[in-house]
Amino acid sequence: MNREERQNAGVDNRPSAQSLPMFHRILKATPETVRDALGAVRARFRDEVGGDTLGRLELVLAEVMNNIAEHAGDHVAPGQIVRPPLVHLWVVGHDGGLACALSDDGASLPAECLLPRDLPQIGSEDLPEGGFGWYLIQDLTQELCYYREGRRNFLAFRIPPGGFAG
Amino acid sequence: MQFVVEDTGSHLLITVGETRIDAAIATQFKDKLRAIVTKASKPVHLDLHNVDFMDSSGLGAVIAVRKALSERLPLVLQAVTPNVERVFRLTRMDSVFDIRSAIPEEVKRQ
Repeated sequence: MNREERQNAGVDNRPSAQSLPMFHRILKATPETVRDALGAVRARFRDEVGGDTLGRLELVLAEVMNNIAEHAGDHVAPGQIVRPPLVHLWVVGHDGGLACALSDDGASLPAECLLPRDLPQIGSEDLPEGGFGWYLIQDLTQELCYYREGRRNFLAFRIPPGGFAG
Repeated sequence: MQFVVEDTGSHLLITVGETRIDAAIATQFKDKLRAIVTKASKPVHLDLHNVDFMDSSGLGAVIAVRKALSERLPLVLQAVTPNVERVFRLTRMDSVFDIRSAIPEEVKRQ
């Protein structure tokens, strides 16, 4: 298996008569480029999947890529990112939903992001304003897996078709 | 950042002009709305019929706005589209806010 095949493993590693052409986009992750990429995903899959599935796909991809933009880049101070990570995004539709894979050259993902997690506690006194992102990703995806190879992160998951979640 | 603020007498109606409340604008959204609601002396209704996408940073911004408004005053989220409602439901924040769904005509206006 060569490098490119390994990167695509788990997404399209067996021939399927039912899979549709793959979406692939490369971006230097900033909130603005993430927004553009989500617009391209939406335009590409609008006619292939229902509105509910598309909504769940967009939310998960937004959470994953915003997390990369915010935390994985080289920064000189919190919020001052000098080198946004270069992200590859692949999405392919098939019978089991939408298979997604992302690769980036940023800092590695902390292990706790992938551990099963609960929502932040809702107390009437002090409502949490963050900590929802990875909960949403875990809640809306199946077969979520992560590994780091060399200087790159790889994350893959599946968005089930309508009627299963969300 | 677009808001239309209207005093209806019984409450302050703030209509959000943005179609997305995401990481690109969440901080600005939060700061501008907080400045408006901190001074409010009556309930605030946030009309979200234009908003067809919200991520967790947008959710955090709306929560921050709730916290900026006096505790005794309600914050009503009205004309909430299905995509936005999902974020509140999945995070169980629908138990914290008074959420009123968009009627189909309001969604179609987008």
